[in-house]
Amino acid sequence: MTRSTARDRSFEDEALPLMDAVYRFALRLSKNPDRAQDLTQDTFLRAYQNWEKYTPGTQAKSWLFTICRNLFLRREERKKRHDEIVTSVADKDPRQISREATVFMAVRDRDPEGEFWRQMVDEEVLSAIDALPGEFREAVVLSDLEDMSYQEISEITDAPVGTVKSRLFRGRRILQERLYEYATEQGIVQATASGDATGARETLE
Amino acid sequence: MKWVEELRRLLRKVGREKPMEEAPGGIPCEEAAARTFEWLDGELDAELEAKVGAHLETCARCYPMLLFEQSFREAVARVASDEKAPDELRDRIMDSLEEEGYTAPGASRG
Repeated sequence: MTRSTARDRSFEDEALPLMDAVYRFALRLSKNPDRAQDLTQDTFLRAYQNWEKYTPGTQAKSWLFTICRNLFLRREERKKRHDEIVTSVADKDPRQISREATVFMAVRDRDPEGEFWRQMVDEEVLSAIDALPGEFREAVVLSDLEDMSYQEISEITDAPVGTVKSRLFRGRRILQERLYEYATEQGIVQATASGDATGARETLE
Repeated sequence: MKWVEELRRLLRKVGREKPMEEAPGGIPCEEAAARTFEWLDGELDAELEAKVGAHLETCARCYPMLLFEQSFREAVARVASDEKAPDELRDRIMDSLEEEGYTAPGASRG
């Protein structure tokens, strides 16, 4: 027990308050509470062991998230050769994932201000986020749930800012289309004669 | 005569197009729409932010879209707040840190 108290104090001040945030991130990455708990525990252990490498007063959250994500990816890698984060969207035609506001186009006559988003159940939003392919999921989670900047996300995910932007925007569009489908099924939004959100592409000018 | 209708539609569209300086914020709807997420995320530089903001907030066509995207983002952000690390995880973490030599500065775990 000869460790300096200053070290422990700064760990307590900067790292420990982020336990909830790291756990939430781990949960969204792994989609499994047990694995998320293990990931969170190991993240804090690793962070404590390497606390000298952290510059006090900088972005502790980004630093912890990076550790967490690296641990997650390494485990995934071990589990299966081609993990979802690496291959999820590589084989998809990017043109199939629209960057356009097709859901807005679909509902603008009935609900132009998106009132239906307010009636959306949280669990449904969460499960739609969990259903996103890995790359899109982490961009959406870090931006919309953890309120991080594109630059921070770029550092955590080790991807250029342009890539982060594209993943984030497409992730949001996929999320909108899924939630819109759900809202239509639940009768939160009245279905149109033309059907789904993709049908609305025709109305684009 | 589908092509005639299409031609009419295009002509109507061209006639409706306003010159650039009349467009709200000095940028066309397409550009404002393409930058809506960046604007909402606070990721644009000051000049673009002002232009896109002026456009989105004053353009009759784009304003509903702004509200729409805004409440979508709020619906997503809303799910973030409630989740907490379970107590048993907190205990586990503190135990494993103490095994590494960590001593809580306050002597008690808060």
